[in-house]
Formats: sequence, structure tokens, C-alpha cells
Amino acid sequence: METLGYLMDGFGVALAPHNLMFALMGAFLGTLIGALPGLGPANGVAILIPLAFTLGLAPETAMIMLTSVYAGAMYGGRISSILLNIPGDEPAMMTCLDGYPMAQQGKASEALAISAVASFIGSLVATVGLILLAPLLADFALTFGPAEYFALFLLAFATLGGITGKNPMKTVVAASIGLMIATVGIDSTGVQRYTFGTLELYEGVDFIIAIVGLFAISELLFFIEEKAGGGKEKMAVNKLTLTWKDIRNILPSSFRGGVLGFIAGVLPGAGASLGSFIGYTLEKKMVGKKGYFGKGDPRGVAGPEAGNNGASSGALVPMLTLGVPGSGTTAVLLALLISLNITPGPLMFTQNADIVWGVIAALLIGNFLLLLLNIPLVGIFVKLLSIPPMFLLPVVTMIAFVGIYSISNTIFDLYFMVAFGVAGYIFRKLELPLVPIILGLLLGPEMEKNLRHAMEISDGDWAILWDSGLAIGLWVFAGLGLILPYIVGPLLRRRMQAGGSQVD
Amino acid sequence: MTFNDRIFGVLMIVLAVAYGWGTTQFNEPFGGAEAVGPETFPRLLAAVLALSSLYMIVRPDPDNAWPWSRTGIELIVAVVVLILYAALLQPLGFIISTTLAVGTLCWRMGALPVKAYITGAVSGVVVFLLFTLALDLALPLGLLSFLEVN
Repeated sequence: METLGYLMDGFGVALAPHNLMFALMGAFLGTLIGALPGLGPANGVAILIPLAFTLGLAPETAMIMLTSVYAGAMYGGRISSILLNIPGDEPAMMTCLDGYPMAQQGKASEALAISAVASFIGSLVATVGLILLAPLLADFALTFGPAEYFALFLLAFATLGGITGKNPMKTVVAASIGLMIATVGIDSTGVQRYTFGTLELYEGVDFIIAIVGLFAISELLFFIEEKAGGGKEKMAVNKLTLTWKDIRNILPSSFRGGVLGFIAGVLPGAGASLGSFIGYTLEKKMVGKKGYFGKGDPRGVAGPEAGNNGASSGALVPMLTLGVPGSGTTAVLLALLISLNITPGPLMFTQNADIVWGVIAALLIGNFLLLLLNIPLVGIFVKLLSIPPMFLLPVVTMIAFVGIYSISNTIFDLYFMVAFGVAGYIFRKLELPLVPIILGLLLGPEMEKNLRHAMEISDGDWAILWDSGLAIGLWVFAGLGLILPYIVGPLLRRRMQAGGSQVD
Repeated sequence: MTFNDRIFGVLMIVLAVAYGWGTTQFNEPFGGAEAVGPETFPRLLAAVLALSSLYMIVRPDPDNAWPWSRTGIELIVAVVVLILYAALLQPLGFIISTTLAVGTLCWRMGALPVKAYITGAVSGVVVFLLFTLALDLALPLGLLSFLEVN
């Protein structure tokens, strides 16, 4: 019941007029970001962080706006899946399977409306799950000592690639690079590390510059390389003729998808892609021969779409309660929290209750806003889809420049950002994942702090790191996170690909 | 071909060694040495990076092709444009440098030059006005500073 009281307070925060306005703006921008080609959710949220700073927003307002962007991006991703057969991001892949055939049959607007409703239900189910689960997990996390936290961070890195990840060793390489960059600067005992006497490096590398460079600038370079500036042909959208019966038909699929997605989102190493994949395969099994999956079955749109959105809300659970994000976009949200001087983790639920519950309430409200935005305004988003990337990406790059410049008004930061962009391009060419680098940058200081605390407690005995049952459990799971991809990974990937190639 | 991962792995081992050696150059912390000093965590990282890079050398993934020839030059042009954009932001001012930078990028990505530079100019003016009027943040005017109303 305590939760209910907090939630009410949260609604008080989220319903304040200016917060509501920023939530609406965030939801709109988020849908745009999700829909536009070449602007993934993580990328989009990253570019908006400096702007949230320069606007001088209060912490809860900034968090509410960017959480709405996050939720909106998940809605937006489906638009290009359905109309162009190009998933806006990886989890939207499964939506293509039945969404695009529906659009080809002249039922594009039905597919869009159904997926909006399914997204809404998926998010709603998962947000309720978040409300129930998060406080419990936060309470449990209070029992963690520094050694457990150190192991937890290792677990976060180990499972970041997901069990469908290709080469876990590359995740380790990437994480080490990120952690190394995080050690630059003056450490907690006042010792200078790797600053080379450069004044700009004394305070360390600003992770926002790194994130924007790695994502936004490298994306520009990739588009130039692929000569994808012209954009794709778009599908015409018919007039919406959706009956109440159609919606009722997809409700069970949406609920199942939402629950599965939430579970996949909370669990480390599963993630939204797996959530939507399980959502789709389960629907196919449940409906059996009566369905016409792969040929434009509305349930094949609803299941994975609900799963995808459920997973994205579920992914907020570990981020908010433990301070360990499980995905790229939640890592970027964590970056925002850290730069707002809020220490993420279980204490946030008591120390910054207004922010946590404000964000959760905003997520609920944001879902209603998004449903309202997405059904009538879908025409606008579809029009924006036809902006060719050759105009869009340079302008986005410019906005990234302005954002970074406005944080500190120094040119040094811009050079730094471009350097990170070039590095990001090379890393992506080598298939070295970028998210572990960012997570390393974000978690590095905390990880080292916990290591030092643990060693102080044990007086220099390394055995403390695996001294409790909980810590051992975390180490085991971290190990599994690195080993399992080699065993089950190829199998799962093949199945997902087999599912994906059915439409081609 | 599996050169990329191998070369990168070697570079990363070099980095790990240099980074690890760097820990011997730290000053003693103010309160004297402790069980875990400023050098402990970096040394762990250096070891982990060296081992995981070694794996990349031993079991490399197949290469992705690098864009040589024309596309490669386009990429270098883009990076040069970005560096010049940063360098000229203050001297030329936001609007002019944005027109040039965004315009050139749009053009190189395949837009008609006229359309490209108009996109650059319009986006520059809009963002400038948005920042100075609505958000009350100063972006440099540079060459256009004679327009300043004060």
C-alpha cells in the first residue's frame, strides 16, 4: 500500500502542467526519432540530453521528458517496420513479418492502429509490472554490499551482449576500453591518472560527449558509406477502417506479448529483441493453423509489438533499482541521471522518491498520450518518413554540435566528439559493440569505488569479492552470460533469422 | 580475410601495455599507500584488455570491407568538414559555419548543391533564433556580429 501512496505522489509530480507539457513534447519527439531512418532510440535520446541541460530543466522534468522520448521511440520504430519493411531498431524486426504484408494488402493504417494499441497494452502491462516489482527489488538491493555491487556490475557487462550476441569477447574488449576511458582524470584520492597534464582532462572524459560522438557522428559516416542518402520508397496509407471487433481480436495477443516482453526486459541478457521474438513465436504456436502468420495476420503484428514495448518498460526495472542498465537506451537514460547528480540504485527510491515515482507515473501518462498521438497523427509521422536522410542526417549532426557546444562553450569538446565519432565508426566496422563502451564510461567510477570499499573492509583480502552466497551467484551468472552465447547463441540466431526470412 | 580483428587486437595489446605501464607513473596518494590504490583497478583493466585482445588475435571474426577509393574519400571529406565546422564555429559565427558545414554534407550525400546549401542556411538560422530568442543561450555570431542588437 505504501507503493500506492508513492505512486499518487508521482502522479502529483507528473501531472504538474510543465511536466505534462514536456512529457507530451518528449512523446512526440520520441515517436519522430523512432520513425525516422538513421535515428535509433539511443542515438535520439543522447542528442537530446545536452538540450535538456541547456534548457535548465529540473531533474524530474528532464527525466520525465527523456523517458517519454524513450517510450515514444518504441512506438515510432513500428512505423518504418510496417510501411517500409525496415525495422527502426532491432526489436522492431518481428513487426515487419506481418506488418509489411498488411501494408502491401492496402491495410497499412489498420496495421499502424493495431500496433499502436498493442504497444499501448504492452507498455501498460509492463509499467504495472514495474510498479509492483521495482520497490521489491530496490528493498532487496539494499542488502548488497560493495563486493556484491562489484559482482553485479560484472554481471551487467557480461550479459550486455545478450544470449543472442555474436562474440562475447568483443563485449569484454569494448567494456575494458570504456572502463579505461573512465579512469582518466583525478581519482577519489586526488591522484591524476592519464591526464598528460592537459587541463581539459582533469575532470575526466564527459560521457555525454562520448555518447553523442559514438552514436550520432558514426551514424552519419555509415550513411555516407552506404550511400543511403536517397531514402526509400514509401507505402501509401489508406483510410482507417478499424472496428471494435478487430481490436478485441488482438487483445489477448497483446496481453501475452506484454507479459513476456516485460519478463524479457527485466532479465539480464534477454532484452527487447528476444522479447518480441518470443512474443511472435508464442502467438504463432497459440493460434496454430487458424492463423495466417507471415501473410499479414494482425495478431502477428500485435504480439511482437506488445512484447517489444513491454520489454522496453521492463528494462527500466534494473536501471532504476540497481543502477545497471540492460540496454543501450537505458544506459543513455542512466547517463542523464548521473549527470543530474542523482546516484542511481536502491537508495534512489527513498532519496529521490519524487523523481522515481514521477518518472513511473509519467510512463503511465505518456502511454495514454502516445496512443492519442499515434492514432490521429500517424499521417504526419508518415510524411516525415519521406524526408531523405541526405538532408536529415547533416541537420541532426548540427544539432549534436550545438548541444555539445552549449554545455560548456568550448571547441575542445567538439573535436573530442568528432574523434569519438571516428572511433565509433571503426568500432562498428570491427563489430565491436558500442554499448559496453558507454556502460564502462558510466559505471567505471562506481565500480572502482565499490572495489576499493570492499578491499578496505577485508583489509586487502581479494577473497571478499566472492565471499557471500549472493556474490557467488552473481559471479556464476556473469560467467554464464559470457559462455552461453557460444552454446545457445548460434541456435537462437538461426531461428530468429529463419523467422525473419519467411517474408522475403 | 581476418586482418581487421588481428590488427585491432595487436593495437589493443599495445594499448593495454602502455596503459598498464602508466600506472607505475602515478604519484603516491596524499594519505599514503593503501591496499587498493589508484593503480589497482587500472592494472586489472589492462590485464583483462590484454587477454581479451589476445582472443581476438587467435579467433578473429571475418572482416567487413573497408571503403577504399571514392567512398573512402567521401568519408574523409565528411570528417574534415566536421573538424572545420568545429574550428570555424567561433570565428565565422554559427549561422555561416552551419550553412557551409550542413550544406556541404547534404551535397556530398547526394542532394543538389542549391537545395543543400539552402537546407544549411535555413537550419542554421532557425536553430540560431531558437537558441537565442526562445532558450536565451548565446551562440557565436562571428562575422555577422554587426547584426547584433544591443
